Amino acid sequence: MLSYRLPREPSGPRTTLWRRLKRLGVVQVADGLVALPADARTREQLEWLADDVLAANGTAGVWLARPTSITQERELAATLAGARATEYSELIAQCRAATDGDPADRARALRRLRGEWRAIGRRDFFPPPEREQAAAALRHLETSTRAEPVR
Amino acid sequence: MRWATRAGIHIDRAACAWLIRRFVDRDAEFLFVGDPAEVPADATPFDMRGVVLGHVGGDCSFETILRHFELTDPVLWRIAEIVHVADLDDDRFDAPEAAGLDVLLRGLSMTGTDEQTLAVSGPMFDALYEYHRRRTLLGREPA
Repeated sequence: MLSYRLPREPSGPRTTLWRRLKRLGVVQVADGLVALPADARTREQLEWLADDVLAANGTAGVWLARPTSITQERELAATLAGARATEYSELIAQCRAATDGDPADRARALRRLRGEWRAIGRRDFFPPPEREQAAAALRHLETSTRAEPVR
Repeated sequence: MRWATRAGIHIDRAACAWLIRRFVDRDAEFLFVGDPAEVPADATPFDMRGVVLGHVGGDCSFETILRHFELTDPVLWRIAEIVHVADLDDDRFDAPEAAGLDVLLRGLSMTGTDEQTLAVSGPMFDALYEYHRRRTLLGREPA
């Protein structure tokens, strides 16, 4: 867990921190408190962010925490899985939208969406069913870029 | 000289160790510690929290070391882009090599000790350097 407090102004460091936390896929436990499943990598990432907060005249700490009940732990995992499921669902919608485009656009969309799928995967600690569905949607899009006869 | 970093090295620390040994201190000796407080007084820490040679303002430690020792070799800065993207995954640079290198380094951390990771990754970074040196000289992809 990363606890942090940043001055309201300037807003730059807040925006940067928010963007980095979003990329890591953290769950917001409370105001100024975010969590990730503990491993060497997530810990290191939160530690660097803590240093960034300190450099921006804020206060920050990195903690190893354990929920006191299984229910609480499941809720956290479900929140994380739900957030990723939403991202995968958006990806599926984009795959479908791209399938209607012309072939060149489709190929471009496929490259971009594959990258997006990998990016979501890197912050996906409790893969929801939508992960496989998004992979299937990407395969479908890939097939459609090949099947199209030259016009 | 002795250099210290956190144990369990990944892409940034492996790349920094290679950079230090090849371009800063030929006789560099590396120590791996669990906590910044364990760094011996005669060792220079890198890629750890709160040290000079760490992440600075969005830069990874490899970039910080290049700046600190005023290494301006464009090939090293190209490698810095790869290490940055592999380590921070923020798409700041176009570095398609990053994903593969990151996977290899993570795999090395699973199959051997930090010393072994350095022993294997050293020649990998030498190869990366040579490839990008030739690319820079030729202005196109080398054969």
